[in-house]
Formats: sequence, C-alpha cells, structure tokens
Amino acid sequence: MIEFDVHTLASGVGVIAPRGRLNRVGAGGFTDQVGTLVGAGTHRIVVDLAEVAFLDSSGLGALIGAVKTTRKSGGDLRIARPTDEVLSILELTNITRILRPRDSVEAAFDD
Amino acid sequence: MTDEPPAPAMLDLPGCLEVSAPATLATIDIVQDLFRHLWAQHDDIDAATRMRVEVAAVEVLTNIVEHAFALDTAARVTEQRRITSALVVADGEVQVSFCDNGLPAELDLSRVTLPDDDMAESGRGLAMALASVDELSYDRAGGRNFWRLRCRV
Repeated sequence: MIEFDVHTLASGVGVIAPRGRLNRVGAGGFTDQVGTLVGAGTHRIVVDLAEVAFLDSSGLGALIGAVKTTRKSGGDLRIARPTDEVLSILELTNITRILRPRDSVEAAFDD
Repeated sequence: MTDEPPAPAMLDLPGCLEVSAPATLATIDIVQDLFRHLWAQHDDIDAATRMRVEVAAVEVLTNIVEHAFALDTAARVTEQRRITSALVVADGEVQVSFCDNGLPAELDLSRVTLPDDDMAESGRGLAMALASVDELSYDRAGGRNFWRLRCRV
C-alpha cells in the first residue's frame, strides 16, 4: 500500500513524498502524481524517499519515467533522503548515476 | 525439467507462511504483507537482508503476474489463475517459493542482465532478483511453474 504527500516549496519546487511501497502497484499512483504536478506547471520536482519502505524495478522505472516527463517540459526531478535499504537498491541498479540522492529536500535543487 | 511436481518440502518446515491468491497485481501487496509477518517473527534478520529477499521475491511475483497470464482473458485470470506463495526462515536462510498455473516462462536465467540503457524504464526485474539472492531457480512440472529463492542470513 502507498500514500502520497504532495506540496510545493516557496521556491516553486514540487515535493512528492510517497509513504509505503513503491512497487508495481504503487508505481502507477506515483506516475499520476507527477503528471498532475507537471500538468499544473510544476516542472521541478523532488521525490522525498524518507518514508519509502520498499523500492523495486517497477518503482525505479516510475522514477526514471518521471525524470523524462519533467525534462521534456524543461524541468528536472531529484530524489532525496533514501533509507539505507532503498539506497542499496539504487546502487545495485546503477540508478545513482542518473539520480544522485540528495540529503535534503529543500536543497535538492541547489546544485 | 521433471515429470512430477517437486515435493512441497517447504510447507513441512516449522513457521512456513503460505497464501494462495488470484494472479492479479493485488497479490503483490498480499505477499508483502505476508513478508511483514515473517520479519516480525525473525527480528534477528537485518534490514538489508530483508530488502534483498523481498525485492527478489516481488520481482519474480510481478513477472509471474505480468507474463505467465499475459494471454489470458480477464475472466480466466480472476476465475482460475492462481499463485501460491510460501515463505519460511529455516536452516540459516530465507526460502521463498511461488507456484502458478500460468504459461511456461520462456526465459534463460543465465542470460538475464541489467539493460545497457541507464534510462530504460523496464527490464531490470529479474536481473535485480538474481543479484539479490544466493539462489534463484525456475522449473516447469505438471503444468505448473515453480520458482524458488534462497538467501542466507
């Protein structure tokens, strides 16, 4: 099961914080959340992974799809605060080469 | 390949958890809930090992739901097609098995690799499963698919 907290920072950056499992079941909901934000004109998005308890290839695919969606509209997507276990999955699949985890949601677009 | 289905040895092990459910995506969350019960009984298994096993199991399960029943109609999926999942910690390892009555899996596990394109949105599942556990095997017997995963703890 998964839920999403979505809010926008003062800088205009959108934040999606999934809470639960980002598996094949949760991936569709995540993609919908990204589509809604981008459709409303928010093209820079941070995914706060702090409450993601599980990440598999379906979740990774949704994250990569979201990177493409934001870049197509001139923006970008960053990830922040993965747990050690989620970080191990990102490293296992070399996803950290295209999505470098940030320590802070607020500062994710500072560099 | 063998003519007879493998004996359900796992079910004889103390503490084995088993669930049978229709071959739909909802079964993934059901099995992950079952993992939560398994981990609650084995708090000595560290978080990294738990994640490795669960990722491998969910990748295989997702593959079964999406491929073993791809040619079925929706009605047959809900009426007849089922997956039986079993989880146990025994002999110093986590053991997971899946049995389904879908189509034979047409794959060679020895040739599964991560996609060359880092930006690929699919195609990582079984490679991640293979990289995450000590043993992953597939067998077809008696008209059923049998998947078995083992991970030392």
